Amino acid sequence: MNIIVCLKQVPNPDLQFQIAPSGTDIKRDTLNYKVNGCDEYALEEAVRLKEKLKGKVTAITVGPKRTEQMLREAMAKGADEAVRVSYEDPAALNSYQVSKILAEAIKKIPHDLVLTGVQSDDYIYSQTGAMMAGFLSCPHVSVVTKVTVEGQNLKINRELEGGDQEIVSTKLPALLTIQSGINQPRYAPLPAVMKAARAPIREIKPQDVGAQSWDQFAGGFQFKVRKVYLPPSRGKAEMFTGKASDTAAKVAQLLKDKGFWRGG
Amino acid sequence: MPQGVLIVAEHRDGKIQGPTLEMVAKGRDLVSKHGGKLSVALFGHGVDALAEELAQYPVDQVLVGENETLKSYTPEGYSQALKAVVDQADPLVILMAHTTQGYDFAPRLAADWNLPLASGCVDVAVEGQGIVVTRRVLNEKIAVDLEFGGAPRYVVTIRAATFKPAEKGGAGAQVQKVAVQVDAAKIIRKVLGVEKPQVADVDITAADVVVAVGRGIGKKENLVLVQDLAKMLGGVVGASRPITDAEWLPKSRQVGQSGKTIKAKLYIGCGISGAMQHVAGMKDSGLIIAINTDPSAPIFEYAHYGVVGNILEVLPSLMKSLKS
Repeated sequence: MNIIVCLKQVPNPDLQFQIAPSGTDIKRDTLNYKVNGCDEYALEEAVRLKEKLKGKVTAITVGPKRTEQMLREAMAKGADEAVRVSYEDPAALNSYQVSKILAEAIKKIPHDLVLTGVQSDDYIYSQTGAMMAGFLSCPHVSVVTKVTVEGQNLKINRELEGGDQEIVSTKLPALLTIQSGINQPRYAPLPAVMKAARAPIREIKPQDVGAQSWDQFAGGFQFKVRKVYLPPSRGKAEMFTGKASDTAAKVAQLLKDKGFWRGG
Repeated sequence: MPQGVLIVAEHRDGKIQGPTLEMVAKGRDLVSKHGGKLSVALFGHGVDALAEELAQYPVDQVLVGENETLKSYTPEGYSQALKAVVDQADPLVILMAHTTQGYDFAPRLAADWNLPLASGCVDVAVEGQGIVVTRRVLNEKIAVDLEFGGAPRYVVTIRAATFKPAEKGGAGAQVQKVAVQVDAAKIIRKVLGVEKPQVADVDITAADVVVAVGRGIGKKENLVLVQDLAKMLGGVVGASRPITDAEWLPKSRQVGQSGKTIKAKLYIGCGISGAMQHVAGMKDSGLIIAINTDPSAPIFEYAHYGVVGNILEVLPSLMKSLKS
């Protein structure tokens, strides 16, 4: 089984962000990036399926040169090949265009199954997977928490709200969006890290998919980032800052005052 | 010219799902400002009672696609049914909730119909024949306004718990059956059933006090800190998704959209940044205290009291202070 796993590099969400002077992006020069959370689980699931069923795992991303580090990590964790689609927009907010570009690149790679994460930690759109399935004209299932391959059929658990799981089946070739927690991702062994550092990364440019530029995949409608800004604060929390012993004492007093501590 | 709003209703176990009524509230607001009708599409099998129920809310029409193949949601079935309804209502905006069904259906629809999609929005406005949406990104810390134009219509999903659900009232909407043609052969996804979680653990929704723990706890061995505090306060330990994903605590302890919704008298968030997925499950608690090292963590937007600090230092001090 040939599996393609789509990975996205996202800014570490624990950072504090500033607005770029353009007012249409965040300042990116000091950011550090990591692989998107759900995508790590998608990669692990792809590698586990390959280990069971044989075949090949190709890790693919859309993004600038910096994303090659993430692709090398993916190879160290079991991906056989890596592809970077050279779309250089660092913000890449136009999800329709990114999905379309990625789908065009994927058409050039033989595959039975495509995996993505449920959503990216930076934009939380939850669009790329199911949208690509539309462009690839294959069935999809979103928010997957368990996959079993039975010949050309897939038996799948998908997460609903409130902890319920829906059991569905679909047919290969298919696209699944993988939820975090489906497995416990492995760490890369050191020899594999060394090997991946020297492994080639295939680059796909517009010409490779028969296009003049990536712009032609924008869907024919207008998309514009009007404004990026700090959201208005509700600011209703009373904040305690300072030494841990001082802030803890204030919280303790608060719990006593509100009747949540009755001694003991 | 396309006008107005069409909401795709969501239902499970014979009940309208909460976010659908939130969409009704926002949809009403949109059509009152920009004109057109507020229509609701309801797909299913044996859904007459649900249609009558929806008609009691302030919508203009309930368009019912009744077919055995629509008994459960599938993207292929809903897409075929929606075609007939959209042809009739000709809406400018197709509105859905940003739920697991919303993320399964909306992007597929947008790709198949070549329509722009704005997902997980916290607001949407119509400008001319285009739309402007507001989204929260980067762990809620940044807001983005996006413009879409030049399309016949737009698919928009709205985050759950963004708007207050609509209340019953209005003139009483018209319920109309739409002749939907569904080719069962095109439905590749088969729904085999739904599994409910097995409850063999404490029920965190029944607890007055929940001490919830997130990534800030660092390692599993440190959980004893929150367990001790919960015990002292006569409460239980809850968790954010990363903790249950890592299997440090059972899934039954997860607070949030994909876990449990709690309304505790006291919620203490320990090392939880406050992603929307978690906040949706705890924001209605009585007293909310959050402890986090990151002063820009979104949990502080929902907390009544916030401590900027490391829980590994604050929690031991807090327990000591309580005892003194």
